Amino acid sequence: MKGNLFLRAYMAGVLLPTWILLLVLGAVVIAHLTGHSLPRLQSAIVFPMAVVPNVWGLWNLLYASMHLSERVSIGVFGALLPLALVPAGVGLAASLGLDFYSVRHAVVVLPVLMVVYYLAWKYAVAYFNRVVGVA
Amino acid sequence: MSVHEQELDSLRRELKDALPRWREMELETDLWPRMLRRMEVPPARFGWLESVLLALAAALIVVFPELLPVMLYHL
Repeated sequence: MKGNLFLRAYMAGVLLPTWILLLVLGAVVIAHLTGHSLPRLQSAIVFPMAVVPNVWGLWNLLYASMHLSERVSIGVFGALLPLALVPAGVGLAASLGLDFYSVRHAVVVLPVLMVVYYLAWKYAVAYFNRVVGVA
Repeated sequence: MSVHEQELDSLRRELKDALPRWREMELETDLWPRMLRRMEVPPARFGWLESVLLALAAALIVVFPELLPVMLYHL
């Protein structure tokens, strides 16, 4: 497999958060059907639907294009992503008036997200990269 | 050499000239070192470090359940 390295890396990065988004949307639909409607859902879904998958794709593209696999493991590289995503998420939540996410929440959730991202990138994204012949 | 053989020989030469030479089709880089590097990479295993990290993350979510929507917000 050769050519289109950037496109393959981007798509390999986008895949997992896109799948997770489907699961989250399924949970939201079930919650809605059982009478547990979530306030401000339209605003809250913007970040995980539009920002997170694209940032994952671009992060993986950066990892592949700069040949970082020779210097840093993909798990560690993925664990660094929340350092950029969490401030962006807090900022967007504040600007959209989402009250479930504050700076205090961000501070507590940051290490948890780094762990989750480390595992996701080490196993899932690395696997997708191998399948499409990236890194 | 018969006329038929001469025609075949001429056709063979023309076909040979029409095809690019093998030297021009050779790869610019040697793929074997890359293959060796890939073979040397150990398969990712779910070790004790990953287990501890996952347990800590799960414990934090259990202690602070209000973090779950915040986590999903980032996935």
